[in-house]
Amino acid sequence: MTNLTLRGVTKRFGATEAVSNVDLEILAGEMVVFVGPSGCGKSTLLRMIAGLEPVSEGRIEIGDRDVTQAEPVERGLAMVFQSYALYPHMTVAENMGFPLEMQGLSKEEIAGRVRATAQTLQLQDHLDRKPRALSGGQRQRVAIGRAIVRNPVAFLFDEPLSNLDAELRVQMRLEIARLHRDLKATMIYVTHDQVEAMTLADRIVVLRGGRIEQVGAPLELYDNPANAFVAGFIGSPRMNLIPATSWRDGDGLRIVVPGGEVRFRPAGTMPPDGAAVQLGLRPEQMAVAGGVPLPAICDTIERLGAVSYLYARLADGTAVTAQVDHALAAASIGAQVSFALDASRALLFDASGRRIA
Amino acid sequence: MKQSLPLRLLLAVTILFFLLLIGLPFWWVISGSFKLPQEIIAREPTLVPQSFTLQHYAKLLDASAYPTYLVNSLIVGLASSVLTVLLAVPAAYAFFRMELPFREGMYRAILLAYAFPGVIVLIPIYGLFAQLGLVDNLLALIIVNTTFALPFSIWMMRSFLATIPRDLEEAARMDGAPTPVILRRILVPLILPGVAAVGVFAFISSWTEYLFASVLILSDDKRTVPVGFAGIIGQYQIDWGLLLAGASLAILPVVIIFSLVGRAFVSGLTDGAVK
Ligand SMILES: Nc1ncnc2c1ncn2[C@@H]1O[C@H](COP(=O)(O)OP(=O)(O)OP(=O)(O)O)[C@@H](O)[C@H]1O
Ligand SMILES: [Mg+2]
Repeated sequence: MTNLTLRGVTKRFGATEAVSNVDLEILAGEMVVFVGPSGCGKSTLLRMIAGLEPVSEGRIEIGDRDVTQAEPVERGLAMVFQSYALYPHMTVAENMGFPLEMQGLSKEEIAGRVRATAQTLQLQDHLDRKPRALSGGQRQRVAIGRAIVRNPVAFLFDEPLSNLDAELRVQMRLEIARLHRDLKATMIYVTHDQVEAMTLADRIVVLRGGRIEQVGAPLELYDNPANAFVAGFIGSPRMNLIPATSWRDGDGLRIVVPGGEVRFRPAGTMPPDGAAVQLGLRPEQMAVAGGVPLPAICDTIERLGAVSYLYARLADGTAVTAQVDHALAAASIGAQVSFALDASRALLFDASGRRIA
Repeated sequence: MKQSLPLRLLLAVTILFFLLLIGLPFWWVISGSFKLPQEIIAREPTLVPQSFTLQHYAKLLDASAYPTYLVNSLIVGLASSVLTVLLAVPAAYAFFRMELPFREGMYRAILLAYAFPGVIVLIPIYGLFAQLGLVDNLLALIIVNTTFALPFSIWMMRSFLATIPRDLEEAARMDGAPTPVILRRILVPLILPGVAAVGVFAFISSWTEYLFASVLILSDDKRTVPVGFAGIIGQYQIDWGLLLAGASLAILPVVIIFSLVGRAFVSGLTDGAVK
C-alpha cells in the first residue's frame, strides 16, 4: 500500500493557470473526492496524476517514487473516463483484457482474470458483446472492470457517472462505494456533484480556480467550512449567506441582519464596528424551536414528505431557504412567515468570504 | 425528412442527368469494344450494339504487349497503394498528435508540395533516379507515385483521425499501450474507411499516371498501361476497336478494387465508443 503525494503541483495552459500550487497527501486505501464548480481544474489535476497531462511545476510522488515525469503506464494507475472510452471494435472481454495483454500475460491468465472480474461486476453474460450492444450502465461497468482487472496502485475516476440517468447514478454510486470497500483500494474521484462527494468520500478536496479551498472529511466540511465558498458548495440545499453588519456588544458581537439581529460570541479576532459580514445558516438552522425570530415573505414551498423547504425573501430581498416542519410548510405563497434562527450554530464570514467565527 | 413532390422530382431529374453524364461515355466505350469495326466508325453512332465480336480483345491480349502493361500497372499500383497507406498512417498521426517543433509549418509545407504540378520536378527527379540507377525500373514509379499521393493522403488520414475521441487513445495509454500499438490496435481499426479511401486514391493516381511513367521507363516490357497503351494505338493508324477494348480493360481493375474495399467504406465503426 502506497501513499500518493502532490507537492506544489501547478499547471499552466499558456497564460492561464488551471491548477495552482496544490499540496495534497492521499493515504493508501483512501477515497478522495475532488469537487468544485466547472472549470476549477479537477480534471486537469487528475490528468496530471494519471500522467496524461505534463506538470508545469511541482512534484507527484507515489510511495517514495517521484513519478512527475513518468509515463502513465509506469505509475500503475487505472483511470475510468467520463465517456467510458471503451474500444468500440473489441468485445467486452477484449476491452477488459487489453491492459493485461499489454502487460504480456498469457492468454489463459487473461481469460481467467477477465472472467473473475466480470463476475464481480455482473458482466459474465456480456463478455462477447461489443460496447455498442450494451446499456449505459453496462458500459460503465466494463470501463470499471478494465480498471480493476489489473490491480492498479490507485483508481482515478473523472465524473464516471455523469452520463447516466438519475436512478442508475445512485445505483452505480453504491457499487463504486462497495468496490472501494471490497478492494480496499486508493481511489481519486472527480465530480462536480457535491452529493456524490459527500456520500463517497473519506476526504473531500474542494477546488476553486485551480486552488484547494479546503480538505476534510465530508461532515467536517459541512460543519466547519473554512470559508463562505466551501460553506455554500457543500450541503444541499445550500447554506444561506445573509448579508449583515457586525457591532461589538460587551465581549460578544451583535449581528444585524435584515429584519432582526442575533448575538454572537466569536472565538478569534473581532471585526471592527459596522463591518459588513455574512451570517451563514444551514436551511435546517433557520426554523428551530426557541430560535431568534426573523420575518420573511414566503416565495415557494417544496414539500418532499419527510422534510419541506421553504424559499423566502428577507426584509431586504435576500433569498433564503429554510427546512421547515409541517406547520410552517402550510404557509401560503406571499404570506409573512417568521423564522427562528439557531444562532448557536451559525457561522460568520467577513465580506470577502473568510471565516471569522 | 419528407420533401414535397416537385422537389423530389427535381432531385431525381438532377441525379439522372449526372448519371447519364458520367455513365454514357463509359457505356459507349464498353459497348463499343464489342462492336464490329464497321459499326464503330458508322456515320450514325449506335447506342445499342447491332453486332457482337471479341476480335478486339483477342487482338489486344494475343497480339500486343497489353497484358504485360497490365501486370506492370498492377504491380506499381498495388505497391504504391500499400506503401502510401503504410507511410500516411504514422505521418498523419504525427501531424495530428505529436508535439513536434514546427509541426504546423511542416504540415503546410507538405500540402504546398501537393499544389505543384509534377512536371516541375520531372528533370531533377530523373537526374536523381539516374544516379541511383533506378531509371527503367518499376521501383522508380512506385517511389514517385507514393511521393505524389502522400500529401493528400496524409491530409485525408489526419481528418479521419480527428474523428476518434481522444479519450480512447488516453485510455489505451493508461492501459499501457505504446504509441505504435495504439496506432495498430486502436486507431487503424477505427479508421479503416479512411485507410481504404487512401489506398484507393493512391492506386488510382498510380493507375492513371502518364508523365513519369513515360520518362522514367525506357524498355517496352516495363511500361505501364497508360504509356504502353498509347504506343499500341499510335503504332498503326488508329484502331478504334483496339482502343475501346484497351480502355475497357483499363477500367476493370479499378472497378474490382472498389468492389473489394467498398465494404470498408461503411461508417459508424465508432458507435458505442464514448457515451
Ligand atoms: N488543453 C487545454 N488547453 C487550454 N486550457 C485548458 C485545457 N484543458 C483545460 N483547460 C482550462 O483549464 C481549466 C480547468 O479545466 P478542467 O477541465 O480541469 O476543469 P474541470 O474542473 O474538470 O471542469 P468540468 O467540471 O467542467 O469538467 C479551465 O479553465 C479550462 O478551460
Ligand atoms: Mg472535468
